[in-house]
Amino acid sequence: MPLPADLGPTGSGVSVPVRQPVYRVRDLGRVYGLGTAAVTALAGVDLDLYAGEMIVLLGASGSGKSTLLNQLGGLDSPTQGTLEYRGANLAALDEAGLTQFRRHAVGFVFQAYNLIPSLTARENVALITEICTAPMDPREALALVGLADRMDHFPAQLSGGEQQRVAIARAIAKRPEVLLCDEPTGALDVKTGITVLEAIERINRELGTLAVIITHNAILADMADRVFTLSDGHIVSTRENVQRGNVRSLAW
Amino acid sequence: MSLLDLKLLRDLRALKSQAFAVALVMACGLAMMIMTRSLILSLSTTRDEYYEKYRFAQVFARLKRAPQSVRSELQAIPGVAAVQTSVAIQVTLDVPGLAEPAVGLINSLPERGEALLNRLHVRAGRLPLGGTTRGEIAVSEAFADAHGLKPGAKIAAVLNGRREIFKISGIVLSPEFVFEAPPGAALPDNRTYGVFWLPYKELSTAFQLYGAFNAVAIALAPGASERKVSAAIDRVLLPYGCRGAYGRNDHPSNRRVDDEIRVLEGLSLAFPLVFLSVAAFMTNSVMSRQIALQREQIAMLKACGFSNAQVGGHYFKFSLAIVVVGTGIGAIAGITLGSKLVEMYHLFFRFPQLEFLIDLRVLIVASIVSALAAFIGVAGAVRRAVRLPPAEAMRPEAPAHYKPALVERLGVSRWFTASFRMALRNIQRRPIRSALTCLALALATGILIVPNSFRDGIDYVIDFQWDVVQRQTVTLSLVEPEAARSLADFKHLPGVVHAEPFRFVPVELRAGPIQRRLMIQGLPAQGTLSRVIDARPSQLTLPPRGIVMSAKLAEVMQVKPGDEVIARVLEGRERELAIPIIGLAEDFAGTACYMELHALNRLLLEGDRISGAHVVVSSSRWPEFLATVKQTPRIAGCVIKNSLRDGFRKTTAQSIGLLQKMYMMFATIVAFGIIYNSARISLSERARELATLRVLGFTRREVGAVLVGELVLLTLAALPVGLLLGSGFARGILQAVNTETVRLPLVLTASNYASAVLVVAVASALSALFAARKIAEIDLVSALKALD
Repeated sequence: MPLPADLGPTGSGVSVPVRQPVYRVRDLGRVYGLGTAAVTALAGVDLDLYAGEMIVLLGASGSGKSTLLNQLGGLDSPTQGTLEYRGANLAALDEAGLTQFRRHAVGFVFQAYNLIPSLTARENVALITEICTAPMDPREALALVGLADRMDHFPAQLSGGEQQRVAIARAIAKRPEVLLCDEPTGALDVKTGITVLEAIERINRELGTLAVIITHNAILADMADRVFTLSDGHIVSTRENVQRGNVRSLAW
Repeated sequence: MSLLDLKLLRDLRALKSQAFAVALVMACGLAMMIMTRSLILSLSTTRDEYYEKYRFAQVFARLKRAPQSVRSELQAIPGVAAVQTSVAIQVTLDVPGLAEPAVGLINSLPERGEALLNRLHVRAGRLPLGGTTRGEIAVSEAFADAHGLKPGAKIAAVLNGRREIFKISGIVLSPEFVFEAPPGAALPDNRTYGVFWLPYKELSTAFQLYGAFNAVAIALAPGASERKVSAAIDRVLLPYGCRGAYGRNDHPSNRRVDDEIRVLEGLSLAFPLVFLSVAAFMTNSVMSRQIALQREQIAMLKACGFSNAQVGGHYFKFSLAIVVVGTGIGAIAGITLGSKLVEMYHLFFRFPQLEFLIDLRVLIVASIVSALAAFIGVAGAVRRAVRLPPAEAMRPEAPAHYKPALVERLGVSRWFTASFRMALRNIQRRPIRSALTCLALALATGILIVPNSFRDGIDYVIDFQWDVVQRQTVTLSLVEPEAARSLADFKHLPGVVHAEPFRFVPVELRAGPIQRRLMIQGLPAQGTLSRVIDARPSQLTLPPRGIVMSAKLAEVMQVKPGDEVIARVLEGRERELAIPIIGLAEDFAGTACYMELHALNRLLLEGDRISGAHVVVSSSRWPEFLATVKQTPRIAGCVIKNSLRDGFRKTTAQSIGLLQKMYMMFATIVAFGIIYNSARISLSERARELATLRVLGFTRREVGAVLVGELVLLTLAALPVGLLLGSGFARGILQAVNTETVRLPLVLTASNYASAVLVVAVASALSALFAARKIAEIDLVSALKALD
C-alpha cells in the first residue's frame, strides 16, 4: 500500500518547520454503539500538535484520553470531526492505509509493554525494524534507552522498567515522527518509572520526536511542554509550561 | 530468517508436545493412506507389467476336445489378436513326504518355441526340453516352496491311470496363476494343489489328445469388445464341449488380485479420513488456544504496523509447521510399513518381482489435503484474531459469563463439591467447545473399535467356517461324477465314521445383466457335515426345489429370496435352468449356491450322481485312511479341513492380523494424542484460575480435581458415543473391504469394547497425571501478576 508522500518516514523531525502542526484535530468525536446504547467517548476536541513537543494528556479513567490516543495512533477511526496528520485525512484511510500509517509514522509504548516473550530484547526491536524503511540499528535504539548490555535477554529475564524501555526502543527504532505512550509508567514504581520517562524525554529531545504521553498521574505534567486535561470526553483545560521540568525531580 | 519466523520457531518449541501430538495424529492418517495407496500402486503396477510382459490373455475357454485346426477359426474371429491353444488336465500327485494325495493341474507347453500367451517366468532351472527328452516337468513356485522342491527333484503323478515319475527341470511362475488355488476354492492350499507344465506332446499323448486342445487363451486386438469376441468363441467352440468363454473378470487368479486391491482401496480412504479430520480439529483447538494466549501480542503487532495478512500468515505458518512434521513422519512411516507389508503379499501372490512403489501422487495429494485440513482448522481462529481492533485486543479478554450448570439448577448441587461444580460450569460455559472435545474423545474411542473388530471377525470365521459350517475331517472328490452308490465306497475307506455325499456342478449364474461363474453345491437336505447356515446363525434345511445363495452373491447379483436366477450348466449336457432363490446363506470364503442333492440331480436330468463326499475319519486310523486314498485313482482330490484352516490362518488371517496390529497402533497413538491435547488445552485455559485457587488456599489435589473432573465428565459422556461410532466405523469399513472372495463378518465383542474403554481410560489417567504435575509447576505469583 503506497503511503501518501507526506505520511512517509521523516528520518528526523528536526528539519520540519516548527509551526507546521504534525496533527491538526478539529471537533473530533468518537461515539461507541448506536441509538440509546450509544456512548460518547470523545466530543469536540480541538488540538494542534507540533514536532518536537512533549505532550501529556491527563485524565481519570474513562475521561477519553485513551480514545484520543487511539485516534492519533490510527488504531481507531473517529465518528465525527477532522483528524489530519501532516495535512492528510486519517479518517479517510481504510484498514490497510492505517496499517501503513502505523508502520511508518507512529511508535507505540503500551502500559503492559506487550513484548513478544519468545524473542530477546534485540529481536523484539528488530521485529519492527524489519518492516519499516530506514530504521535505526536495534542496538542503537537499545543503547538510547540504556539497555545496550541487556539486549540478548528475554523479556522474562528483564525487570518491568527494563521491559518498558525495550518497548520504547522498539517504538523509536523506526524513527517515527510520533511516539504515543499509553500510561508508560502505570505498572512501574517511581524509580523505575523515572528511568522510563527519562528515556522518552531523551528521544523527544535528541530525535525531535513528537511525544504524547497519557497518564492519570498529574505529577508527570511537569515534564511536558503542553498539558491537556480530559474529562468526560472533552478537553477541560490546557496548560503550557514555559520551562519543562527535570524528569529526575518528579516524584509520586 | 525473519524475526516473526524466529518467534514461530520458539513458540513451537514451547508448544512442542502439543504440536507433536497433533502432528502424530496427522502422521497416522497419512501413513495409513500412503501405505495403502502405495501398496495398491505396487500391486497394480506389478500386475499390469507382469501381464503385459508375459502376455496374459484376455479371454479364456475350456472345452472337452477340439482338433488343432479349429485354432485358425478362432484366429479368424474379428478382434482376436492371438490364440494360444493348450491341453490342461488335472491329475493326482504323489509328493514325497506328503501323506495325503495332492492334485496337480498340468498344462502343456507349446511344441516349438515360446508360448504366444501366458508365458512363463523361469525362477530356477529351465523349462522341460521337450522333443526326445521325456520325463521333465516344470512346477509352480508356490507348490515348490511348500514342499521344498528344487530343480532335479522327483515327483510322481498319475496320468490317465499310469503312475509316472517326473524330474523337475525348473521352477516357474505364470501370469495365469498369480494366485494359485484349486478351482472353486477361495483359499490357497499350496501343499495339496500345484500347477505344472509339461511339453505338449508328452501330455497330450498320455491322454489321447495329441493333435487336439482342451484349453484356449486369447488376446484381444486393441479396441475389440470382449463380449463380442467371447460370443464368437462360444459359437466356434460349442460343438467341442465348450461351456462359454470368460474374460479376466471371471479368471480366478486375476479376480483374487483385483479383490485384494479392492480391499486396500476400502482401507485407504475411510480410516485415514477419520484421522485427518481429527487432526484438523486438534489443530484448530491448539491454534485457537495459542491465538487466545497471544491476543496482546497480536494487538501489538497490529499497532506497530503489521498487516492482517502478515499476522494471519504467521499463524498459518504455525499450523503449516505441524503439517510439515506430520507429513514427514507420515510419509516415512507409510513408506517403511508399506515396504514391510509388501513382502506379506508373497504369501498370496506370485509375481516375478513385487517391488514396493511409493505413490508419490498420493503423497502430494495427502500433504495438500492435510495442509488444507489444518488451514481450515485455524482459519476461523486467525480470522477472529486479525479482525480484533488492536486497541480492543490490547485489553485482557472480558471475563466469561458463568451461570449455574443445568444439573445444578435441578437442585442437586448440594451433592457436588465446589471442584465438581466448577468442572460442570466450565463444560457448560462453552457448550460447542465441550461438545467438540467430547466428539474428539468419542472418535478416539471409536477408532479403537475397528482394528479389534477385524481380529474378532477372523476368529469368528475360523470357528464358524470350520467348526459350524464344515464339520467333516476331509472332503474327497471324484475324478468324474459317479452314481450315488459310490458313497458306499467312501464309507468303507479305513477309519471313515460317517460320509455324506455332495454334487458340485459348475454353472454360469445370470440375473439381468450380472453373471457369475461358480459351483452349485448339491448337499443332503439337512446334512450334518457340510452345513448351510443362515445369518441367525442356524442351520437351513435345503428345500426340495430352489437354491440357497451366499448373501454376498445375492448382494452383488442384486437378487433376493423369491427372485429367479438363470443357471447355465457348464458340465455335461448343455442346459439353462431358471431356479428360484429360497434363502440366503452366511458364508465367508468365496460365494456359492446350495441346493438339495436330489433336487439338483433332478434338474440336471442325470439320475442320482455325486461328485464326492465329506467324511469324518477316526483319528486312530488316519494314516491308513490317507494311504488308501492316495492309492485310489478315482479320488481326484482330498481336502483336509484342518489344512485349509491352517492355510487361512497363515495367509488371510496373518495379513489381516498384521493390518490390525498396525491400525491398533495408529488408533492408540491417535487416542492418546486427542486426550493429551484436550487436557493440555483445558490446563492452559485455566492456568490463572487454578493459580488463583491455589493462592486462596485450595490444595493441589483440589485444584487438580477441577481439571480432572472436567476431563472425566467429558470422557464419560464420550465413551458410549464412541462405542456406537466405532461400531459404525467397523460396519462401514468391513462393508467397503468385503469382497466376493473373502469376507469378514461384523463381530463386536465385549472385550473389544472393554479394551477400547481401557485404552481411553489409561490415556485419560496419564493425561490427568501430567496435568496434575503441571499444576504443581504453575508459578503462583507470576500467574497472579499477569492478571493486572
